[in-house]
Amino acid sequence: MKQEIKRIILVLVGLCLAFISLIVYISFFQVFKATTVKNNSYNKRLWINEESILRGSFLDRNGKTLVYSEKKDSSYERHYLYGRLYSHIIGYSYREYGKAGLELQYNNQLLNISENAAINELKNLVSPTTEGNNIKITIDHELQTKARNLLKGKKGSIIAMNPVNGEVYAMVSLPDFDVNRIKEDWKTITERPDSPLINRATQGLYEPGSVFKVITTAAFLEDEDMDITYDCTGTANVGGYEFTDYNKKAHGSLDLKRALAESCNTYFTTKSVEVGKDLIGNTADKFMLNNKIPFDLPVKNSQFPYKGLLDKTELAAAAIGQGKVLVTPLNMAMVASGIANGGQVVKPILVKEVLSKDGKVLKTNTTEILSLATDPINANLIKEMMVEAVNSGTGTRARIKNVKVAGKTGTAETSSGKSHAWFIGFAPADEPKVAVAVVLEEENSTGGTAAAPMARDIMLHVINNINE
Amino acid sequence: MYNILAILFKYIFIIIIYLFIFSIIRLIYLDIKGMEGISFDDVAYLKLINRKDSLPFKIDEHYIIDKVLTLGRHGDNHIVVKDPYISKEHFQIVEDEGEYYLEDLESANGTYLNGDKIYDIVKLQDGDIIKAGQIEFLFVNRK
Amino acid sequence: MNKRILSRSPRNLLFFFQALGLLLLLIYKGKAIDKLTLATAGGLVLVIYLSNLLLTKITSGDNYIFLITTMLVSIGIIMIYRINEGLGIKQLLWISMGIVLFFLTYFILKKIRIWENLTYLYLIGAYLLFFVTFVFGDRRHGAINWINIGQFSFQPSEIIKILLIFILSSYYSNKDRWKEIKNSSYYLMGVIYSFIFLLFLQKDLGTALVFYAIFIAIQFIYEDDKKPILINIGLFVIFGLLGYSLFDHVKIRFQAWLNPWKYIERQGYQITQSLFAIAEGGFFGKGLGLGHPDFIPVVYTDFIFSAICEEMGIFTGIGIIMLFMIFVYRGFKIAISQDNKFYRILALGISILFGVQSFIILGGVIRMIPLTGLTLPFISYGGSSILSSFVALGILQICSEEIKSKEDLDEAGD
Repeated sequence: MKQEIKRIILVLVGLCLAFISLIVYISFFQVFKATTVKNNSYNKRLWINEESILRGSFLDRNGKTLVYSEKKDSSYERHYLYGRLYSHIIGYSYREYGKAGLELQYNNQLLNISENAAINELKNLVSPTTEGNNIKITIDHELQTKARNLLKGKKGSIIAMNPVNGEVYAMVSLPDFDVNRIKEDWKTITERPDSPLINRATQGLYEPGSVFKVITTAAFLEDEDMDITYDCTGTANVGGYEFTDYNKKAHGSLDLKRALAESCNTYFTTKSVEVGKDLIGNTADKFMLNNKIPFDLPVKNSQFPYKGLLDKTELAAAAIGQGKVLVTPLNMAMVASGIANGGQVVKPILVKEVLSKDGKVLKTNTTEILSLATDPINANLIKEMMVEAVNSGTGTRARIKNVKVAGKTGTAETSSGKSHAWFIGFAPADEPKVAVAVVLEEENSTGGTAAAPMARDIMLHVINNINE
Repeated sequence: MYNILAILFKYIFIIIIYLFIFSIIRLIYLDIKGMEGISFDDVAYLKLINRKDSLPFKIDEHYIIDKVLTLGRHGDNHIVVKDPYISKEHFQIVEDEGEYYLEDLESANGTYLNGDKIYDIVKLQDGDIIKAGQIEFLFVNRK
Repeated sequence: MNKRILSRSPRNLLFFFQALGLLLLLIYKGKAIDKLTLATAGGLVLVIYLSNLLLTKITSGDNYIFLITTMLVSIGIIMIYRINEGLGIKQLLWISMGIVLFFLTYFILKKIRIWENLTYLYLIGAYLLFFVTFVFGDRRHGAINWINIGQFSFQPSEIIKILLIFILSSYYSNKDRWKEIKNSSYYLMGVIYSFIFLLFLQKDLGTALVFYAIFIAIQFIYEDDKKPILINIGLFVIFGLLGYSLFDHVKIRFQAWLNPWKYIERQGYQITQSLFAIAEGGFFGKGLGLGHPDFIPVVYTDFIFSAICEEMGIFTGIGIIMLFMIFVYRGFKIAISQDNKFYRILALGISILFGVQSFIILGGVIRMIPLTGLTLPFISYGGSSILSSFVALGILQICSEEIKSKEDLDEAGD
């Protein structure tokens, strides 16, 4: 008798627990998962709402229309005027393939709907939304076109930005894809080994090679006790590993300025061990490596894992941008900007304004200082070194007549054996209007030969054509 | 217009459903408390001494005595006990002018008061123990 | 006196709920509602109110289970009518018939008391129904479990469910008699497994699972010998694995549960549409008539809960879960207070049936457990489901009363 009651109660408790677990699970689902689930592109409700709203247009910084929507029959049709040019910046918005780029990040503004569902509900009761907002981006269409033409046929990325206010003038990543042909090309786009869907400017992680020496130099300048002179023999042994200079060339006796200009590997590897990993690591952090970079598009974090185990050889390799260091091109453009801007690294901006249909400015992205990477005196010293690198060092192909250009080349060795060609720099050196970063993936050529001339053309175009 | 109404109603629906659940739980709660919920301040009653779940038949913890209270196996009794040792009509308690009297109704196995089998009508005192079959009651008089 | 006012209050709340629901639907459908529908709906509200009132008068047993059930039915009918008027009206009729059947069952069981000893009759009935299903069966949503008679169609497994509970009750309440047959526990297990296997062949996984759950729970409570229980659990694991590797429809359901987003176009389509609906609803829902239940597949039966969550919020959803929980609790309470062993097991079986069935389908549509097609008792659309549920409810109602044994009846007579 008692045994029976006990077992009955046990079964009852089991069933009640099952019901309680249902309640817990559905609450958990609603609180933590619902938002992600709701925004899945297979959710037809999203499109039901969206299809009754005229999605906003995209304009370049001069007001040129890049993307717009138009009513056709009972629905709206979206027109991407430059299918490939903005595939990574503006991205796309398709029912079947979802959204990407700014189309995804600024979806609510484009549809003029609030992020808060309750407010939306109320708003829809009073006056249902029919027209979305337009978005003006900071990109200069001409420069963007030029940058893409320069890069055509290669893999890599070019970024040009204003070092003072952070506006991005051009951002190209190749290979790209045609947004207008996404239906036809979807399979090849997603399966190609060189992943055209990835925006290399923000998502690509590259070995920086010698362009990283700008950061190492900033660290060296922090250490006042460091002996800046060095006698280069073309090779240096650090922790049992033989570092060599390009073509094993002996640079002879040099100071920090010449070392950066000549991109002397042995100088940086030897001295890096003297100042230690913490100083170089902290300086890298201040240049936003290992940090989340706030941007209108998602950005991968650059990596310099100095806090863990890092032996002398690994530190020396990192000092010349090899080994464990991996950076995004956008981050390197910000490093150049930081030096140009007296040590202040500003937040990169891609969306200039959100405009209502009748042209009212609803939202402006304002300049924001993210970090003080180095003091103005040191920034100025580094700038002079970079000017020397362009005038009489590895970066001579970036020279512009009558304009003082600062820059640094890099040729990063990779595990595949093919090297990346890098150039970062800014111009005019004394009153910077533009900072650039160029990376050519597995180009197998030096930064000075392949990347520097591209950077030169970009900087020249900005100086001549873009007036802030 | 309908939209506003629908949104208003959804809150009302939820409130009603939860009020409903609440009132049912409350009723069930009162039900379980059952007799315990009644105040015993001013009455005379029988309190079960045996542990309720040790008995193989249905029985309550408390029985209030109002004028007359009968116990037996037959369904017409106030206290119905499905026990073979209990007769169809076993015993009764009768109130007379504020006093309570216990009477055995010629049961087969008898009624015991404080351990003694009774043969006649006996006056009950507060704290008396009444036994019939395997059931034991405590008589409590709060009047 | 105070208590009597209180006991009336949930009934009034229910009435209030139905009246408001009716009003809102009236506005929503506008002029489309004809007078007949309105009369039927109004009639049902009245019938439910009166039934609840009547029940407190005629039964000495439980007053809550019917109340809870009518609340569930009301939520369901409002949702079904909102999605599809035609089905809503049909459901109204089914519910009315269900209530009639409830009282019919109640009175028949009250008057006739021969049910304990009809084990073989139940067995024959169950096998006959299975046989009929296979011969005349019709395939719907991948499962062969419908029979058409004229223009009506019904699911025999809904009746077999109740027969199963009767088989288990009559077996375990007469355990001593069955002991004379050696290994009778194993014969019983064989019978139940044959049911489960037949359901498996019909691809009716959900019902098979419900059968198993009822069986193992009752066996756990009443089998003194641990061995058959362990064998039962072992067999379940073996058959589960076997089913997974042999039958594609089992595998598909499992995969769709583990990663519906990967198979969103095919296997995962149903469950993801359900999740979209629940996620869109939020805590308070979109409001009746403002969601998109038409996007949810099989929304009238299996996925009715998702539609309710979308338009009435997960607070209503949680409310439904709580109502089922209270229902099961009441059912068990009824069983514990029932002295007659046969009726006690009946009460347990029916409570477990409703508890497990609602858990399996609710857990399925919110992706807590793999999805198996089942109706949500009292809420989903469907004649067989509603009618059999009300019959089961009638049985439970009888179980909540004091059952006089034959001996008592004789005694009362003299």
